Amino acid sequence: MTFILKYKQLNEERDIPHENYTIKDLLKELELSAQTMVSKQNGELVIEDTVIQDGDEIQLVQIIYGG
Amino acid sequence: MQCSKCGNPKVIYKREQSGQILCKDCFIESIEKKAIKTVKKEKLLDKGDKVLVALSGGKDSVTTLEVLNSFRERNIIDICAVTVDEGIANYRQEGVDIAIRHAQRLGIEHKVVSLKDEYGITLDEIMQRENHKGSCTYCGVFRRTIINKAAREMGATKIATGHNLDDEVQGIIMNYLEGNTDNLTKLGAKSESQAEEFTVKIKPLREIPEREIGLYVVAKDLEVHFDSCPYAMQSFRGEVSELINQLTEKHPTIKYSTLRGYDKIKNILKDELKKDYAHGRCSRCGEPASNELCKACSFLEELGL
Repeated sequence: MTFILKYKQLNEERDIPHENYTIKDLLKELELSAQTMVSKQNGELVIEDTVIQDGDEIQLVQIIYGG
Repeated sequence: MQCSKCGNPKVIYKREQSGQILCKDCFIESIEKKAIKTVKKEKLLDKGDKVLVALSGGKDSVTTLEVLNSFRERNIIDICAVTVDEGIANYRQEGVDIAIRHAQRLGIEHKVVSLKDEYGITLDEIMQRENHKGSCTYCGVFRRTIINKAAREMGATKIATGHNLDDEVQGIIMNYLEGNTDNLTKLGAKSESQAEEFTVKIKPLREIPEREIGLYVVAKDLEVHFDSCPYAMQSFRGEVSELINQLTEKHPTIKYSTLRGYDKIKNILKDELKKDYAHGRCSRCGEPASNELCKACSFLEELGL
C-alpha cells in the first residue's frame, strides 16, 4: 500500500504505515504545520482529516512563509 | 462529512473558530462576502473612488485585487495598481511578473517602480554596505514612499493593502508589548493621515485569517508568488506571530477577540494619544516630513546618494 507525495521538489512513493493514515498524520511525520499548508488528494483540495488511500497522489502546498 | 452550507460531501476547510465545514464554492463565497462586509461596515469605499492596489503578486495583494475588482465590475470604483521592485535577486522578479499578468488579465492601469530607478540603488546593494540598518527598515520606508507617490501620480483616492487578520493582530500585540502607543493609534481598517499628500489607506482583508487567504488563492486557481523573502529573519513580529498561533490552537477565536477589543478602544486611544504632527516638508524631496528630511531622504543621505 503506497502513495505518491509531492511537496516542493519532492516527488516520491511512500508506504502507508497503518490503516486510517490521514494527511494530518503525514504532516506530523514531516514536521510541517497544518497552519501553513493546504493539501490536495489526486488534484482536489481536501481537509487534513482525509484518510490516504492506496495509489493516492498527495500534494502539499505551503501557503504561509515567514517574513 | 459534508458542507455546512450546501451539503456537498467534497469539503475543503474546517473553520476551527466556528466549527463550520465548507466545500470549495461555499468557502470561496465566504471569503469574498467577508471582505465585502468589511468594506461596507468600515465604509472603505466611496462611489467613484480610484483605488490603487499595492500589488506585490503575493497571496494577500492578489486577493485584495480580486475582491476590489468585484466593485469595479459593478462600476462603483476604478482600480489601478503599483508594484515595487526592491531589487532582490532570485526573489522579486517572479512576483513582479505575476503582478503584471494580473493587471493585464483585468485590464487595469499598472506600473512597476524599482528602487534602482527611483533612488539609484537596489536593496541587495544596500545590504552590501557596512553599517546598514537592516533590510526591512529600508524596504518599509522606501516602499511606503513609492506607493504614496504613485497614488498621487495615478490620481488615486485610496490605497488598498493586503493586510490580513494575522497582520493586524500582530501589529496590535507588538505595539502594545513595545509600549508604542503612537503606532497603536494608527492601526485599523482605514488610516487617514493629517497630511493631505498621503492618500487614505484601506485594508479590506483585515478580518480574514492569513491561512484562509492562502487557501482562497489555491481554491480559486489564482496565480500568486508563494515564497519567502531571502532577507526575512527572526524578527520580533515573527516571535509574536508564533505566540499568537500557539494560543490559537487551544483558543481558536483569539485573533478575532483581540481585533474586536482593539476596535472598541481605538477611538479612545486616538483621542487621548494622537500627537499633533508638524506639517513640515522634506527639504530634499518636498514630501511631508516632521523633520528637515523625510525618512526616505535621511536614509539616502546616509547611503551617500
